[in-house]
Amino acid sequence: MSFSAVLFYILSAILLVSAFRVVTAKNPVHAALFLVLAFFTSAGHWLLLEAEFLAIALVLVYVGAVMVLFLFVVMMIDINIEKLRAGFWRHFPVAATVGIVMMAEMILIIASPEAGLDSFGQAAPAVAGVSNVKQLGLQIYTTYLYPFELAAVVLLLAIVAAIALTMRKRKDTKFIDPAVQIAVRREDRVRVLKMDVEKAPAKDAGSSEQQQA
Amino acid sequence: MITLTHFLVLAAVLFAISVMGIFLNRKNVIILLMAIELMLLAVNFNFIAFSHYLSDTAGQIFVFFILTVAAAESAIGLAILVVLFRNLNTIDVEDLGSLKG
Amino acid sequence: MNWADLHLMPALPEIFLLSALSVILVLDLFVSDARRGITYLLTLLTLAVCAGIQIATSVPYVTTTFSGMFVDDPLADIVKVGMYGFTAIVLVFTRQYMADRGLFKGEYFTLSLFALLGMNVMVSASHFLTLYIGLELLSLALYALIALNRDSTSSTEAAMKFFVLGALSSGLLLYGMSMVYGATGSLDIVQIGKAIQGGSGNTVLLVFGLVFIVAGLSFKLGAVPFHMWVPDVYQGSPTAITLMVGAAPKLAALVFMIRILVQGMGPMVGDWQGMLVIVAVLSMAIGNITAIAQTNIKRMLAYSTISHMGYMLLGLLAGTAQGYSAALFYAFSYVLMTVVGFGILLALSRAGFECERLEDLKGLNGRNSWYALLMLLTMFSMTGIPPLVGFYAKLVVIQAVVDIGMFWLAVFAVLMSLIGAFYYLRVVKHMYFDEVQDTAPIVVRGDAKLVLSLSGLALLVLGVLPQGLLELCLEAMRTSLAAL
Repeated sequence: MSFSAVLFYILSAILLVSAFRVVTAKNPVHAALFLVLAFFTSAGHWLLLEAEFLAIALVLVYVGAVMVLFLFVVMMIDINIEKLRAGFWRHFPVAATVGIVMMAEMILIIASPEAGLDSFGQAAPAVAGVSNVKQLGLQIYTTYLYPFELAAVVLLLAIVAAIALTMRKRKDTKFIDPAVQIAVRREDRVRVLKMDVEKAPAKDAGSSEQQQA
Repeated sequence: MITLTHFLVLAAVLFAISVMGIFLNRKNVIILLMAIELMLLAVNFNFIAFSHYLSDTAGQIFVFFILTVAAAESAIGLAILVVLFRNLNTIDVEDLGSLKG
Repeated sequence: MNWADLHLMPALPEIFLLSALSVILVLDLFVSDARRGITYLLTLLTLAVCAGIQIATSVPYVTTTFSGMFVDDPLADIVKVGMYGFTAIVLVFTRQYMADRGLFKGEYFTLSLFALLGMNVMVSASHFLTLYIGLELLSLALYALIALNRDSTSSTEAAMKFFVLGALSSGLLLYGMSMVYGATGSLDIVQIGKAIQGGSGNTVLLVFGLVFIVAGLSFKLGAVPFHMWVPDVYQGSPTAITLMVGAAPKLAALVFMIRILVQGMGPMVGDWQGMLVIVAVLSMAIGNITAIAQTNIKRMLAYSTISHMGYMLLGLLAGTAQGYSAALFYAFSYVLMTVVGFGILLALSRAGFECERLEDLKGLNGRNSWYALLMLLTMFSMTGIPPLVGFYAKLVVIQAVVDIGMFWLAVFAVLMSLIGAFYYLRVVKHMYFDEVQDTAPIVVRGDAKLVLSLSGLALLVLGVLPQGLLELCLEAMRTSLAAL
């Protein structure tokens, strides 16, 4: 077995175990950390596939940003682990059956000779001196200009949506701007109402009733 | 020798694990979000493996955009989760009782 | 790539939409709550200008730009103009509703425009990448719109369910796309079509990918067996947002399917036809039968949507130009019916009161006979009673499946619409033959009243004179799908 084959199997074992732990972990923090491990090992796989830029991007964007956001939210929210776990074992038989059947079917199709994956053979080895990053960069800023701009729009949307959903004015401070306090005028606080006499003198009570009617 | 089949089978197993995770954690929204991340990871594996064995960079560029969009997606997903949590004080889907599921 | 080769003209409406969106986003920061009407008017103006540009720059042939990732054809033109129109109508209807609930904020407009931009991108996409990004742009904006009513448990809950299932379906769709990419070596719709046509694609991988793609698409469309999110989202969202989710996105979803299945995987029509038959049959059956048991009218309309999606798929699965244009006609008339139906629910809602139970419609004729008549037209149209547009829509899709010899499917569709008649007519019975329960006056802004009346009458006009729209749809399909 070549070195890359050994590496592939070791990384795959780590990846699958950590992925399995992500979905079965008791504590969401552990799940998030296992997901980080899964992303790290995936980056290793992608290096084997000569996708250097994406391997780095995965570590920077996913491990560095997205997973930190996950951990942040997990820790911000007060989670009742016991309550979340209730029903886990009830769902387990169904979930395991679905998972295993799906996995078996997908593997049978992909690995079957009819799928013809053998015809892909071995990839041409990368030419020395050609940078993966440069190749992708050239394409992204020319051929893929339109999706690139759209990706920017998606990120803008994410900013607008996240702020619209979560930003609130704080209600727990009693801070008052002194300037506003000083600038208060009498009319802002006191309103003098002109009212009719509540109880009319007895002698013309009848006429005022007629007026109201 | 590591062939395309190896990578596709690996991605398929990953995909199945994430589907299992979605069935398993129907009550736990945050793990659901993580299972979806795993599913996208499986998809990315497919694209990169095909891209490598086809000697075509288009697959890698697709993955670049999936990563970008998925980052935006998880930002919005977590924002909704936080808002939901404010309303419910729990992320237990079972408590989401007002709608029959 | 040469910069001089970059033709921006076909994408001019999108470029304008994005620029106007950014301007509105910034301008809104300087507008006080009391004068939010400025944002509203600017948004409507944007939609009008977009529609104007779209019509002015439309050409009767297919043009592509951005390295073939953006396609502008008559199909895209007609659908985009429809989407601008429906979005504008929705905004007019929802103004009072949103204001009553403190949701008449700048984000409502910017997010709606983001959703519209996403739909435009989907409709004009000719590459898996742009299809995917357009879809996500639409979905993300919709998730946020639903959760915008952030103090309501049911809204945020609906947003979360929509989000999880939407992300799951994107995952399925992407997995399918990756297999198609592996089999054909291309992500470009035209190239994929050519590769499959030429037989150079790997059949096992293609069919394997196709299964995932159809599953993902059915999820997005809300067709059985991937429909479980539809009733919850329709019921949980504020009615205004339900309308936003249920109107224009259905048009975009249909074109999305046409781009992938017909233009990309057209030569595999035999494979996806079978899958769509199953989805369509289940949708018609389960949608119509479950709707009978509903007491919440939003939930009932959700199941009715599921069944309508089944009917729309009938046109698509026929695999002929007539069939596709029938499906497009169906989508247009379905969206029009939805807009009027929900428009009336919005008109009947007021601050602190949601019109969402069937009982809330009791005796509507006694309260306001004009709205009762409009609702009657909508319900008759959804049932498929001539001479309303819903009748013609059902007729053309059923005609399409008869043309390809699937008589049993046509008979089944007719039977299911008979079952559907039960719950639609029950609404009519409530309005005309029951005692009034809610006597509060119905207050509707003048512009909303006018647009509501016009859209309601359009149901009748299009039903009497469907030929114009039908021919427009057919012509667009013929030109856009040149291979047919």
